[in-house]
Amino acid sequence: MTVPFLGLNKVTKRYGRRAAVDGVSLDIQAGESVVVFGPSGCGKTTLLRLIAGLDQPDEGEIWLGGRQLAASSRNMVPAHERQLGFVFQDLALWPHLTVRENLGFVIDSARVPRIERGGRTHDMLRLLRIEPLSDRYPHELSGGEQQRVALARALVGQPRLLLLDEPFSSLDPDLRVVLRGELAKLQRQLVLTTIYVTHDREDAAALADRTVTMRDGKVEAVTGTRH
Amino acid sequence: MWGRRSSRTFVIGTAVAAFVLVSVLPLAYMVGLSLAGSRSTSSAYGALLLDARQRALLGHTAVLGIGTALAATLLGAPLGVALARVSLPFKAALRIALAVPVLLPPYVVGLAWIYLGGNAGLIAAIAGQDVLSAWTYSLAGAVVVLSLVFYPLSMLATEVAVRRIEPRLEEAALLVTAPGCVLWRITLPLAAPTTAAAALVSFVLAGSEFGVPGLLRVRVFSTEVFTAFAALYDFGRATVLALPLLVLSIVVAGLAARLVGERLIVTRRGATGTRLVAFDGWKWPVTVAATGALALALVLPLGVLVREALGIASWVTVLQGSREAIFNSVILAAVGATAVTAIAVWLGYARARATRRVGLAADVLFVTLFAVPSTVVGIGLIGLWNRPGIIGVVYGTDAMLVLADLARFVPAAALALSASVRQVPVSHEEAAAAGGAGWVRTMAHIVVPQLKLGLLATWIIAFILAFGELGASILVAPPGEATLPIRIYTIIANTPPAHVAALALLQSAVIFCPLALLGLGVTAGGAR
Repeated sequence: MTVPFLGLNKVTKRYGRRAAVDGVSLDIQAGESVVVFGPSGCGKTTLLRLIAGLDQPDEGEIWLGGRQLAASSRNMVPAHERQLGFVFQDLALWPHLTVRENLGFVIDSARVPRIERGGRTHDMLRLLRIEPLSDRYPHELSGGEQQRVALARALVGQPRLLLLDEPFSSLDPDLRVVLRGELAKLQRQLVLTTIYVTHDREDAAALADRTVTMRDGKVEAVTGTRH
Repeated sequence: MWGRRSSRTFVIGTAVAAFVLVSVLPLAYMVGLSLAGSRSTSSAYGALLLDARQRALLGHTAVLGIGTALAATLLGAPLGVALARVSLPFKAALRIALAVPVLLPPYVVGLAWIYLGGNAGLIAAIAGQDVLSAWTYSLAGAVVVLSLVFYPLSMLATEVAVRRIEPRLEEAALLVTAPGCVLWRITLPLAAPTTAAAALVSFVLAGSEFGVPGLLRVRVFSTEVFTAFAALYDFGRATVLALPLLVLSIVVAGLAARLVGERLIVTRRGATGTRLVAFDGWKWPVTVAATGALALALVLPLGVLVREALGIASWVTVLQGSREAIFNSVILAAVGATAVTAIAVWLGYARARATRRVGLAADVLFVTLFAVPSTVVGIGLIGLWNRPGIIGVVYGTDAMLVLADLARFVPAAALALSASVRQVPVSHEEAAAAGGAGWVRTMAHIVVPQLKLGLLATWIIAFILAFGELGASILVAPPGEATLPIRIYTIIANTPPAHVAALALLQSAVIFCPLALLGLGVTAGGAR
């Protein structure tokens, strides 16, 4: 049996007496694109936050690339040492930094040799077609441009795992289709392991190798094929 | 509802007229008098600019303001970040305790530091010789004392600013770098405008403080204004000396309001702060640091006063000797706080419901007026009210002390209450109007009931500030009518320290009672 790239073993997170994530176990292989699907409040976002290390599980274990990230109700590896990319629902672009500086902050933190930093940022700006916007601040960008910047920022550190929390939920349907297509293309091009959280069936259909359906904090069904 | 004959126009108009009369006119009159262009005034300005003694005064005032602003920010801003983001034990109680020093009259804290570091103080007693008095009675000593009084401004402002930062912005950074770097490059730059505005307010308040420099024998403009009027009976010189302080407070308050803009008014969003797991590792170091700050700013000064007060022969004698001053202070502070709240609630309502441009202008005006030094307010009140005829009837009565409270505290109360009014959605009023209710009925049954906690908090803070008011009161108090702060300040030189310390403790105790009430009110409001 292959050791999974990401492994969740009976992960539970409670807020008060309510379990937002309730004994979730899940294995994800490298390069796989998994969509976590379910209604609002079913625990999708909490699951992503636990994987990212932004919250700590009350029970269960999380493993990534053979390394234990969290267990026994504590995070053993802090968020910034997990080498993950995260696109938040509200994008969370730093408003006091330009597009280039938003990416630069990640590159500076990622222990990339100084000589490579400029090139890496430049490549990512070009890949996402936002190079002309590099000196603009987030509030000077359109919704679609902000989405591209958020994606570029999540990818520029060359993460081992990309987490996306309903990143296109605030966009109009046409733009949503375009960006979804671009994301699918990027996944193939960069061979990304991704977990994409959504409550939109079309997103799930377009992006998933496998779809994990959640309800009331539990995994209700897993559909699709593994790599 | 804003029609000429509407009840809203009448009520708000009356409040604005009262505000202009009590807060704006005294200063406008003083400025007008000062700039009237008489020969003596011109020569006084010449002396002010050319005289080396006056330039030293300017230098001392600047160092006091800048030093206090820097030190208060260095102490207060990290505490504010910690309160907003780190999970601390007993956080609510810790926040209130850390905020208490700003509510203590600065001269009480100054007095405590004299009893600690003065030539007959605790440190001298322990060391067997005077080691600190030269430092205590110095500009540096005044900076330290005022920093320990004003750091809560920086702390609370920074906490509010950090709470307003969307936690996702920090979480996005926490995915790629360590918490310390996130704080330095994401959190602090985003909170910086508000922290800088708080530093500017500390600068103005320190530069205009009268009690502490007076006690520590540091010559600054505010003490010179007092000396010019009270000791030299030179009203012209007092107004000339007051004008630079007034200009400084207008410039700095305007700058502060511009820095924070609409955010000057705090809303409830994120009121509990967001806990970020990554900062949990700082819990105990921060708790130790916060406890240290609390010990330095609150426990030590009060402890020194308690130790000193233990030397009194009889508490009964102390209380009997100052009974009238204590009674006067409590009654006048209660009347002042009620009047302040009554005017401020309508000003706050008008500001909250004003257009953006009018609202910002009102903020600048309120901040500017609050920043005006107390001795300058006192001079302005005397200039306006000390005249023959009907107006002069007020002068020489206790009403002048209430007018001083109104002049100083209505602007700040209006700002605070406008924040409360903003939390009542306009749609609540519109729904009442659609249901056929007039404005008065809407206010009485819909809006004011939702402001109860804000009104209580404003009244209590106004009471505390009025109870500790010294700089304006000491100038406008009628002969023989002393409040407790005036009595403490005037008996320091010729009364045993134990007696003075006991009165200072009494002053603090009266402040703690309503503060505890406020704490209970906030807790009850939070529970609801």
